[in-house]
Amino acid sequence: MATRPPQIVALGGGGFSMEKEGSLLDDYILSLLDTDRPRVCFLPTASGDADHYVVRFYRRFSPGCDASHLSLFRRDQGTGGVEDDLAAHLLSQDLIYVGGGNMLSMIGAWRAHGLDSILRRAWRRGIVVCGPSAGSLCWFEQALSAFHGAPRPVRGLGLLPYSNCVHYDAEPARREEYHRAVADGMTGGYAVEDGVGLHFVGTRLQRVVSSRPDGRAFLVERHRGRIREAGLQAEYLGDPAFASIARRPELAEVAA
Amino acid sequence: MSSPTAAERPIVAPEDRTIFAMGGGGFTMEPANPLLDDYVLSLPASREPRILFLPTASGDTTPHINAFKERFGGRTCVPEHLSLFRLRETPRPLREIVMEQDVVYVGGGSMRNLLAIWTAHGLDGILLEAWERGIVLAGLSAGAMCWFQAGVTRSSGPPEALEGLGLLDGSLSVHADGEPERLPYWLTMIRNGEIPGGWALDDGVGLLFRGRTLDRVVSSRPGAEAQRVDAIAGEMVRKRILPELLGSRATDPLGGYDEAVEELRRVHRLRRGTGGRRS
Repeated sequence: MATRPPQIVALGGGGFSMEKEGSLLDDYILSLLDTDRPRVCFLPTASGDADHYVVRFYRRFSPGCDASHLSLFRRDQGTGGVEDDLAAHLLSQDLIYVGGGNMLSMIGAWRAHGLDSILRRAWRRGIVVCGPSAGSLCWFEQALSAFHGAPRPVRGLGLLPYSNCVHYDAEPARREEYHRAVADGMTGGYAVEDGVGLHFVGTRLQRVVSSRPDGRAFLVERHRGRIREAGLQAEYLGDPAFASIARRPELAEVAA
Repeated sequence: MSSPTAAERPIVAPEDRTIFAMGGGGFTMEPANPLLDDYVLSLPASREPRILFLPTASGDTTPHINAFKERFGGRTCVPEHLSLFRLRETPRPLREIVMEQDVVYVGGGSMRNLLAIWTAHGLDGILLEAWERGIVLAGLSAGAMCWFQAGVTRSSGPPEALEGLGLLDGSLSVHADGEPERLPYWLTMIRNGEIPGGWALDDGVGLLFRGRTLDRVVSSRPGAEAQRVDAIAGEMVRKRILPELLGSRATDPLGGYDEAVEELRRVHRLRRGTGGRRS
């Protein structure tokens, strides 16, 4: 059996939860799965397991997927989606989709239930992990948190040895804040606009995809004492030419 | 008048630190019975206390927040809630928000998630400081057990013991009548010495602590009880405690709804106009 390389699709914003026509990024993520009826589990932790978010997930993924969700808040009431062994369930998935919300709250709750180590194992096994916003930030070593007061770097799970900044276009101050954080010592990394996804194979950025023709992502680093921001080539998923190459990329050849 | 800040709130004497721990009840569980919530409002010295609801343990669910607004919105207090999942709504340092309050009211839900999320945001340390500065800490269920050395949570389904913040000595078990499966587990854990002795509370019963000393036991419902359990030299010692029933004349809370105060607040609001500090 061919081993699957670890893969992460980190969205700066977008996917079913944020875009009205948001299926392009989700379609791309589904195209990475080498099975006809993939098993997809949703983790809405960062939203406090918001019901409306769970409903939207099922609307999007129930057709065509074996969809489930895992709630860390309703487990005592028997309405937590998955009730039995969390590890066994997550490790049997093809895709784990992490919803947006507050990253600190999410990672705190994950650690309390041992989900941080389960997700690391899932990723190593080749289960694709993805998500927008907090569902992107969490995979990186550091993330720029924009909540309660001044933005500051916070630690993610550290699967990717970079930093991450999301909604790069949505909030005017974000660029300056991210540059300052990297200048102040945060590890360099990726700034991503809404509608744009970074696809990592192993820890290497494989491609940048976008659900908008003008979606952008940037690599932000310290270079000789200054901040260097380099634009990354994003492929527009709505381009008819893309349809042929989006399916089944030859990932097995890429070293993880 | 501006809100107090940490600098203006001195550290208070240990006996002036107040925690009110409910086994169940209050606005989330007793929508038609305001006795416990009115009692909470009577605890701080302020005649118009600022009360902050922390719905963390439920995942900041909208129904919880709405129930809080409904219960406290018409009372003589300044209600506010703080969501740790929707912090964009409150782009201020958490410590600053907490130190302005007279009461912090913690809702029920998952005790495990509650403590983990507080720790992730540093709120555990902020709440300890709030207690030391005399801000009343109140809560039910997970929001009550969190103050003790240990509680019995069903955060993962079956009952399990979980370490709390340890502001109060002993352990607490909640919903003794409503969720009876917790009680035998709690007793076993005490008997085995895995958690310290402590209190089990029926829904509607609240323990008032001044410092680390139990000062009063009150209830919103006739018939609801508390019990104190200890393992002493291998023997289980159980003691029933009959709470004071709130709403009877002797224990009428001083806080709560007051038409005249509400009228005065309307006048204040009019005078403040749109220049009020709260947006």
